[in-house]
Amino acid sequence: MSDFPIPVKPKSRLRIALDSDLFYTFRRSPVAMVSAVVVLVLVLSAVLAPLIAPTNPFNPASLNLMNGFTPPMTPNAFTGESFFMGTDDQGRDVFSTILYGMRISLFVGVAAVFFAMVLGITLGLISGYVGGWTETIIMRTADVQLTFPSILVAMLIFGIAKGVTPVEYRDQMAIWVLILAIGLSDWVQFARVVRGATLVEKNKEYVQAARLIGRTPGAIMLRHILPNVLSPVLVIATISLALAIIAEATLSFLGVGAPPTQPSLGTLIRIGQGFLFSGEWWILLFPAVTLLALALSVNLLGDWLRDALNPRLR
Amino acid sequence: MRRSLRLAAILAAFAPAVQAEEFTWAVNTDPQTMDPHAVNSAPVLGFLNNVYEGLVRRGKDMTVEPALATSWEPIGDGEGWRFTLRQGVMFHDGAEFTAQDVLFSYQRASDEVSDTRSWFSPISDVVVVDDYTVDFMTSAPNPIFPGSIANWMIMDSGWAEANNTALPDKENGNYATLNTNGTGAFRVTAREPGLRTVLEPFEGWWGEAEHNITRAELTPIQNPATALAALLSGDVDFINPVPIQDVARLAENPDVDVIQGIEARVIMLGFPHEAEALKYSSETTDTNPFADLRVRQAVAHAVNVPAILQTIMRGNAQEVSQLVSAAMQGYVPALAERPAYDQDRARALLAEAGYPDGFSFGLKCPNNRYLNDEAVCQAITGMLAQVGITATLDAMPVQNYWPELRADNYDMYLLGWSPGTFDAEHPIRFLAATPNEEKRLGSWNFGGFSNARVDELLPMIQSEIDAAARQAMIDETTKILQDEMAYVPMYVQPLVWGTRSNIELTQRPDNFFILRWVTVN
Amino acid sequence: MLAYIIRRVGQSALVLLIVGLVAFSMFRFVGDPIDNMLGQERTVEDIERLRAQLGLDQPFVVQYYKFLEGAVQGNFGVSYRQGRPVAEILLERAPATLELAMVSGVLAILFGIALGVFTAIRRDGVFANVIMSASLIGVSLPTFLIGILLIYLFSVELGWLPSFGRGETVDLGGWSTGFLTESGLKALILPSITLGLYQMTLIMRLVRSEMLEVLRQDYIRFARARGLRDRAVNFRHALKNTMVPVITVIGLQLGAIIAFAIITETVFQWPGVGLLFINAIQFVDIPVMAAYLMLISVMFVGINLLVDILYFFIDPRLRADRSGGH
Repeated sequence: MSDFPIPVKPKSRLRIALDSDLFYTFRRSPVAMVSAVVVLVLVLSAVLAPLIAPTNPFNPASLNLMNGFTPPMTPNAFTGESFFMGTDDQGRDVFSTILYGMRISLFVGVAAVFFAMVLGITLGLISGYVGGWTETIIMRTADVQLTFPSILVAMLIFGIAKGVTPVEYRDQMAIWVLILAIGLSDWVQFARVVRGATLVEKNKEYVQAARLIGRTPGAIMLRHILPNVLSPVLVIATISLALAIIAEATLSFLGVGAPPTQPSLGTLIRIGQGFLFSGEWWILLFPAVTLLALALSVNLLGDWLRDALNPRLR
Repeated sequence: MRRSLRLAAILAAFAPAVQAEEFTWAVNTDPQTMDPHAVNSAPVLGFLNNVYEGLVRRGKDMTVEPALATSWEPIGDGEGWRFTLRQGVMFHDGAEFTAQDVLFSYQRASDEVSDTRSWFSPISDVVVVDDYTVDFMTSAPNPIFPGSIANWMIMDSGWAEANNTALPDKENGNYATLNTNGTGAFRVTAREPGLRTVLEPFEGWWGEAEHNITRAELTPIQNPATALAALLSGDVDFINPVPIQDVARLAENPDVDVIQGIEARVIMLGFPHEAEALKYSSETTDTNPFADLRVRQAVAHAVNVPAILQTIMRGNAQEVSQLVSAAMQGYVPALAERPAYDQDRARALLAEAGYPDGFSFGLKCPNNRYLNDEAVCQAITGMLAQVGITATLDAMPVQNYWPELRADNYDMYLLGWSPGTFDAEHPIRFLAATPNEEKRLGSWNFGGFSNARVDELLPMIQSEIDAAARQAMIDETTKILQDEMAYVPMYVQPLVWGTRSNIELTQRPDNFFILRWVTVN
Repeated sequence: MLAYIIRRVGQSALVLLIVGLVAFSMFRFVGDPIDNMLGQERTVEDIERLRAQLGLDQPFVVQYYKFLEGAVQGNFGVSYRQGRPVAEILLERAPATLELAMVSGVLAILFGIALGVFTAIRRDGVFANVIMSASLIGVSLPTFLIGILLIYLFSVELGWLPSFGRGETVDLGGWSTGFLTESGLKALILPSITLGLYQMTLIMRLVRSEMLEVLRQDYIRFARARGLRDRAVNFRHALKNTMVPVITVIGLQLGAIIAFAIITETVFQWPGVGLLFINAIQFVDIPVMAAYLMLISVMFVGINLLVDILYFFIDPRLRADRSGGH
């Protein structure tokens, strides 16, 4: 830690925004408040799923196949059991499965975005600040990355991971593979924004000053440049979260999603769409509505955040 | 070539002016080739049965009936079979059908590069006696030979040579991959692989047409929901398969009919008989519990097959106790009873075998091969967990599945088997015989099940002419396989077709869709 | 300048080579094509013979080299599944995907710009806010579900539109078009909505925020002060100035539309290259997968290269930045 008080202009700007403006616009926007409440409720119920859910759908020993296809709030013809949102083809309580599935969806989404963010920011900072061949390599890699549809990236990582993981870890592996795959297809956005901002910032006086007093490039990047690009990064992260949750669902449709023994919301929808025509609407409807509510609220929050953090739009 | 074009034009000009009855059907897998000898798979052979014909064919109830041969009889004391050919049969291009075409098609279909080669492994020689008589000499008496070649389709030797397709080419394809020239009731008039295949009736067909179709189009639709939507909206007249869960709803719909039958395919669980140890266990690393008969029996008692049929199969499948279904030749009615669903007995057997606290292992399963395969495996995982053996389910697409099984990467696996010959000998040869590359035995016996008596009985079954004696040997083999719990046969997969209600057709148990039995009303 | 362009072209070529290498290293994880090429009665010996025949027993680098060798001469190999040259198959399927991409792109641009302008001008209006929120519903559900729901509603329940496929097509010198028949046009509606929805939302939001940005600039305020009518200000001045970033994004999204048509084509059984690719994965049709990936890569890299070169001409500052680097 250097003992010189460097001008901390970037940090303070964010602070001010968080302290006053952001909260102020938040309270003025009913859409943002409703979305925030919805997200909060969904996240809480996902986190507390083991406490709220009537059953644990991930424990195969607890399932009774004869409970399969029970309609919501109607006693099962064989077992007489009744379920709030009905059961699916395996006799799993749909309500519990949604709670547990949301845990997985949220975990995959948050972890993937976090991974993409860290990777993207790091590579963006480095390529913007260092330039030269390093930049060329990083940005060309970004091109390669964009070239590969995320579906293919997922399948690639899936295949390789499958080859090297013992089977008893594969259920967990699927989740990490999803995180890696979605994260890898998302980092380019972060990297591009951060690189652009770094190119602008690195020639400014305060950075020159920091360099003159002998701060290491790492410190300059982290302490001075990074705080300046945090607001666009935050916006991208929020919107990416919604996209990541949807992407997980799409991958599941192509058969590379979460395993059916530990389904995510996307896997539940993939399973449920098979019952759209057969009359068991609840297997599709409830997970789909939950996913919609979750992604929509996150998107709306991201929307609001973008407007709120862009002072010129106010 | 030129001659055939002119002939087609003449035929078209003379075609009677009937009302156009167009028929569109959708399947989940497009036939990958039009070459009848290149790939021995149901989508290909099923489709080509409408275009090409064999010496014999199977009727609506699977009985063997005359096609390009009018009659056949054994030669001497089981030295072979003599086929008398039908006269006056024309190929689609106008060429005449003779014994030379039979010999050529034999050479083509039995070549090393042909996928149909194994049908001819009993054959030692083929002799053309005259233009309409052919002898098939067998190295040992072979009572089921005529039935076993019902899907062997005859190709015109002149056409094949003219178009440089004397042998099938799997790697690069050739003229016969995209073009056809059979003797069947329909000829292919347009072929866009993966998109559509158009058929029109062949005016010069030797048989009596039962259908009233003037044009038929085949379209592959992979996504089951899309296929169902296409049937419900009337965009197609027929789909195969109908997702099992939609059967009940469809049956209520007045515009649509559901046709159900029992398919030949038996779904079973397989074990690693030969393995030293489990591959995917977290505690039992130096033993293979499945080598113990009692553990295999415990599995059989732990799986609640009636519940699977009730829910996942929606009451559309039948339990089975042996490797073939009751509709097949050689089924043993006396051994029809399955091991009862009995959790206590399963636990007792496990305790007796030294696993009172159970063990963990890996279950391999395909997720796009059999009807609801993944859901069935999931249910089995739950049922086994309830008696204390915890499976880690690893479900994968079939293109990854077979390589995994070949590499012995499983502790238990799901397998479906449909006997191509409709005879109990077939699964014994492929699934129960000790694997032997040279004799081409046990090639799907992944677990390496081996029983000396079964190996001894198989060649005897293959060459026994007396039906009763043959059945007695099949009875004995079936009993051994049940007692040894070589596999756990669970149920016979149902066959579910959906049509618009103005269509009449016949469903054959081998899941082949025969266009000449279709009537559009 | 020439040196810069040459260097960028060289880099792009390198990118393509790497894409190919990664793709080939991946193929053996997709599965084994042999099982789809041989029937039930195959033996292990048959399997090994065919594998050797196809060259699958060789290391992937060798397979890749062979592919490159052919590709340089315009030969992309023969499809394992169809037994036909891959180039021929791709050419046959391309019109379906391109037409679908074009229609959904045009829909996305038209509706995106119109709604974007509307929501920007009426930024505090209730209706505009409803549109803004509603547009998010379209991107908050996975594409495959939207497609299936559209089929359910418009084909099964209402019976207005076909549930799958392209309808009747007309062959125009090797290009099969669905634009010239009624059934072809009808068949385009649902898939293009499904595919274009995401891009429409994206463009709409971009146009809106760019418009808002421009509308508060001095010259717009000045134009208003001069007494120009709203319409003239909004469209002649403001919209025109938002177009540059919008066009850039549209350019990049066009490639994305084609690549991500995979899902839409699967749901609607649309006979384009995306469906071809999904089938190829199912049957481990390595030549088709390789050619498809290379095609998509060439497209993306090409667009990228074009954008970079354009920037080079437009913005002289970038030249200094690019060539500099510390």
